Order: sequence, then structure tokens, then C-alpha cells
Amino acid sequence: MALLCGSTSVRSQDLSVVPLDERWMFEESEVNGPDIWNKTWYPKAADHVNTDKPWYIVDATDKILGRLASTIAIHIRGKNLATYTPSVDMGAFVIVVNADKVAVSGKKRTQKLYRRHSGRPGGMKVETFAQLQQRIPERIIEHAVRGMLPKGRLGRKLFNHLKVYKGSDHPHEAQKPTELPIRDKRIQMTR
Amino acid sequence: MNKDKIFKLAKGFRGRAKNCIRIARERVEKALQYSYRDRRNKKRDMRSLWIQRINAGTRLHGVNYGNFMHGLMKENIQLNRKVLSEISMHEPHSFKALVDISRTAFPGNKSSVVPPRKEGLSIVL
Repeated sequence: MALLCGSTSVRSQDLSVVPLDERWMFEESEVNGPDIWNKTWYPKAADHVNTDKPWYIVDATDKILGRLASTIAIHIRGKNLATYTPSVDMGAFVIVVNADKVAVSGKKRTQKLYRRHSGRPGGMKVETFAQLQQRIPERIIEHAVRGMLPKGRLGRKLFNHLKVYKGSDHPHEAQKPTELPIRDKRIQMTR
Repeated sequence: MNKDKIFKLAKGFRGRAKNCIRIARERVEKALQYSYRDRRNKKRDMRSLWIQRINAGTRLHGVNYGNFMHGLMKENIQLNRKVLSEISMHEPHSFKALVDISRTAFPGNKSSVVPPRKEGLSIVL
């Protein structure tokens, strides 16, 4: 992702119009612009405004769960961008549709267990993949992607950039989402 | 005298650590130890960040970090990772030229990711 190098905001001071005894007042960065080659770039607030971030859409029909979640997590975190910064949310928004048709290989459909605990003794609840897909299909993809995002304040904020829907329509047409570029060749479940 | 120095260093600490000398002294000692250790860690973390950024930048062009650096070493291009990461962010065309140099010098493993279509460069711009 190429940066717009803030050339509109850098105002270089022309030292030739400044009298000699006042030249000490001007810093190096005001004269020649900020030093981009010796200081590692860190994004300013204007570089990660939520309204300018791209939106991607992906259809989960017959895609392998883990491989799909991995690609989604990479795009949400921003690791595919050259401007990646671990402490800042530089990633994109991702919409997943047809979440109830996501596929898993092997016998995972009946054998993969989703566990949760209510906090009280004896309060562990266990469900299989098939049962959870019947009940709340969005939770499967959310669970998978949440496990692949960083755990912490920023990770929780990144998780909100994932939008999962059961059917094939979604309320985000106004964001004009584009197709999520998938590089993994084994992501499509072939029968 | 020493107390004033400690309290000066304890500015911004949480709770009693900024007000009470017994607690502040411990926290300040720990903070100084951390800053000693982290002056050395910062160099490692920065290099790791440059490598992650270069990796992301080269993968946009279908080459991964390992093959890219191998190609650069072969061509004896001695640009360091800091500068390479800045080039990948601020000068995308120059970076693509570097990736092409590296790809001719070391084509990499044939089974690796297929280079993206030409639309890839319009995403970069």
C-alpha cells in the first residue's frame, strides 16, 4: 500500500529569508522535511482512519474453516500491508457471507467439540460442530478467527472488524466491499 | 535528596507507586532495570518489524522474504532491512525493481505462490 507521504502537510522553511541571528530557531525537520530514511515510520492518526479502510467480502460456501479463518485474520490484522504496525489497527474490514455452509475435512463435522464454561462448578457445556452449526452458525467462524487474532485490547478491537452473516445478504452494500484475495490453493473443499 | 530523585522518576506510575517512597523506590528500580533491558530489546524488535514489513511488501509481488533476501545477497546489494522497509512503504516502484532484481538472481522454489496478476500493482499505487 503506497503512502501519500504527507507532502501537503510538510511546510519546509526556506532559510534564506530568515535573518542570520534567528536561524537557530528552526529545527532540521522544519527545514528539510521529516527524516523518513533514518527513522522507522510510525502511522499517524490520519493513516488509519476507519472510514478509509478497504472492505472485503468472502463467500464461505465449501471453504475449509481454518484456512479461511487464517486468510481473514491476516487481512484484518493488516499483515499483508507493507505499512503493518503491530500496535496500530491498520487492517481492513471483512464480511463473511453464507457462514452456515463452511466446510471441514475428515470427521470433524461430528467430532470437533466446542466447549464453553459458565464459571460455576460443573458448568462446562460441550457441543459438536454440527450442533453449533444448527444453533448459531456465525459463531463457528467467529470462534476460529478470534483464535487467530492477537489477544488483548487491540485484538478485541480488531475482532469487531469481522462481520459474519448466515445467509448471502449483508447490510454493508454502502461500503462497496471487494472480493477478498485468497492465495491458498487448498481452501476450496473439493468433493 | 535521593527521595526527590526517585519521585521525579516515578512520575506517571500507578497508585501509591508515585507517592509513597517505599513502594516508589521498588517500582523505580524495576523501571530502570526494564529500561536497561529494553534498550537492547528495542534493537531486536525494530529489526523484527522491518523484516515483517519487507515480507508483506515482497509478498505483494509474489516473492517471500527469504527468497528476496537470498536474491539480494547474491547480487551483493547491501541495503539494510531498515532502508528496505522504508523503500517498500514510500517508494513502491523502486521496491518492485528490487524485487525483480532479486527474482532474476534467485528464482526461488517453483512450488511457491504464483505471482499475482498485473492488477496487483494498481493495488499498491
